[in-house]
Amino acid sequence: MTKRKDIAVIGYGETKITLRGGRSSYDLAGEVLEQIVNQTGIDPRQIDGLSIAETMSETANPFWGVFMCEQLGLSPTWMQVNGLGGASGTGGIARAAAAIRDGLCETVLVLASDAQSSARPTDQGAHRYEFMYPTGLRGPVGSFGLLTQRYRHQYGLKDEALAKLAVTQRRHALMNPNACDKLRVPLTEADYLNSKYVSEPLRMLDSVMVCDGANGVLVTSTANAKKLGAKKMIHPIGYGEITNFKGSEMLVDITESGFTVAGPKALAQAGMTPRDIRMIMPYDDFLIAILLTFEHVGFCGRGEGSEFILNTDLSYKGTLPLNTSGGQISAGQPGLAGGGLNLVEAVRQMFGEAGERQVSDPRNAMVTGIGVIPYGRNWGVSTVLILEQS
Amino acid sequence: MSEATPASKPEAKKIPRPLPRVNAYMDTRPFWQAANNGKLLIQYCKESGKPQWYPRPVSLATGRRNLEWREVCGRGKVYSWTVTYSAWPGHEDRVPYICALVELDEGVRMLANLLNVKGEDVKIGMPVQLCWERLSDEINYPAFEPVTPR
Repeated sequence: MTKRKDIAVIGYGETKITLRGGRSSYDLAGEVLEQIVNQTGIDPRQIDGLSIAETMSETANPFWGVFMCEQLGLSPTWMQVNGLGGASGTGGIARAAAAIRDGLCETVLVLASDAQSSARPTDQGAHRYEFMYPTGLRGPVGSFGLLTQRYRHQYGLKDEALAKLAVTQRRHALMNPNACDKLRVPLTEADYLNSKYVSEPLRMLDSVMVCDGANGVLVTSTANAKKLGAKKMIHPIGYGEITNFKGSEMLVDITESGFTVAGPKALAQAGMTPRDIRMIMPYDDFLIAILLTFEHVGFCGRGEGSEFILNTDLSYKGTLPLNTSGGQISAGQPGLAGGGLNLVEAVRQMFGEAGERQVSDPRNAMVTGIGVIPYGRNWGVSTVLILEQS
Repeated sequence: MSEATPASKPEAKKIPRPLPRVNAYMDTRPFWQAANNGKLLIQYCKESGKPQWYPRPVSLATGRRNLEWREVCGRGKVYSWTVTYSAWPGHEDRVPYICALVELDEGVRMLANLLNVKGEDVKIGMPVQLCWERLSDEINYPAFEPVTPR
């Protein structure tokens, strides 16, 4: 993507996030389609593209994407399943834009739906059963424990900065009716600091709670959006992505992520610097991921994340509003649809439809994605997307 | 990160500590045979001379399969570590236990447990040495412990 506004996001939908809600990922997706149809007035038969995130709850089904088309009555001329983990939503928009520009389709539903908390855990095989699981490393929590410990050693980490992130996002979740009810209770900095260690130095309140939910956005060419009479539209103007950052190297700095590549690339395409970003909706599986995002994208220098957080008003009324629907940590992580949660909030804000948590002058937003836990490295996929109003 | 994190509820059915699935995604038999004799092997690219861990189907340096197993000295330093209080399924009896990334002298990092040391005594950069956990008649699993004067 270069800085041009030939692609438009014209609608969005999101279910409420529930813990073990028991509904399937197909059923949840249907709710998203209905919202988008009602909101945009589009005839579903005009949706000729589907860019769908992989899902934990149906991942054993290799035909997940086609099944979804059948369930929703869609007949796309272009369909793609995005296996980028939590980066599938942002990556899904970039792929949809490329497909539209190449004439493969005109109007794409970028969809994510997962009932992970209602489904059995999935199997992620390869080397893990031989060289990871036998050590008892506690999955993503364990990996982020290792990452956090190393970051503390290299740079120092202020617990009060993470506490501020926890409290800021929780306040936002209290204003979000779609947030998981179990999480819609006030949280203090002391609550965060006193929460128990799961994989020290990582605390219980550093991490997400896996839930169920779905979300999606409707993407088309700006020309077609006008033809359709779209009432509101925003535009993707910059994008960067990298998978398996420094993958051929053995002794990588685990505190350094692919955002060091994807962030500058997205900003350059958008013709922006971090100072130009109005709102940030970073992928938040763990609080420290937000801190690293600020550092690696360039909002502050390496090791300056704690100070940046403590010195910046990240509330919805602030200078750099952060995850204004609560983020995954305070709204709940709808499995692999989690990457769409902060994305949909960015669209909602830029459409001016965020209700009591509405950001003033929501002219642009940066949305990031993180996917997959590798062996002894930083996270597996990094995506950075910049959206701007017309 | 959007991955299965099964809850370890007290009422959940107790699962035994899982044995590694040996030789599953590629041929790792030389590693396990050597491990059973107390020797730690890692892969080397024969063209670039570079070591790699965990075992891969190709050299990460060249993309070719000109690889061999070589024994390493079993010494290294702690790169990072975490004390696990909430167990991964099958490890409940071991809580609290330490998982670490150990940087071997040869230039790779290995995810392994640190044994014979408490969390409060571990430091990044601390020298460690190889030790073994016998998980079954066939499986010796590599772990590390603080270097002790001999």
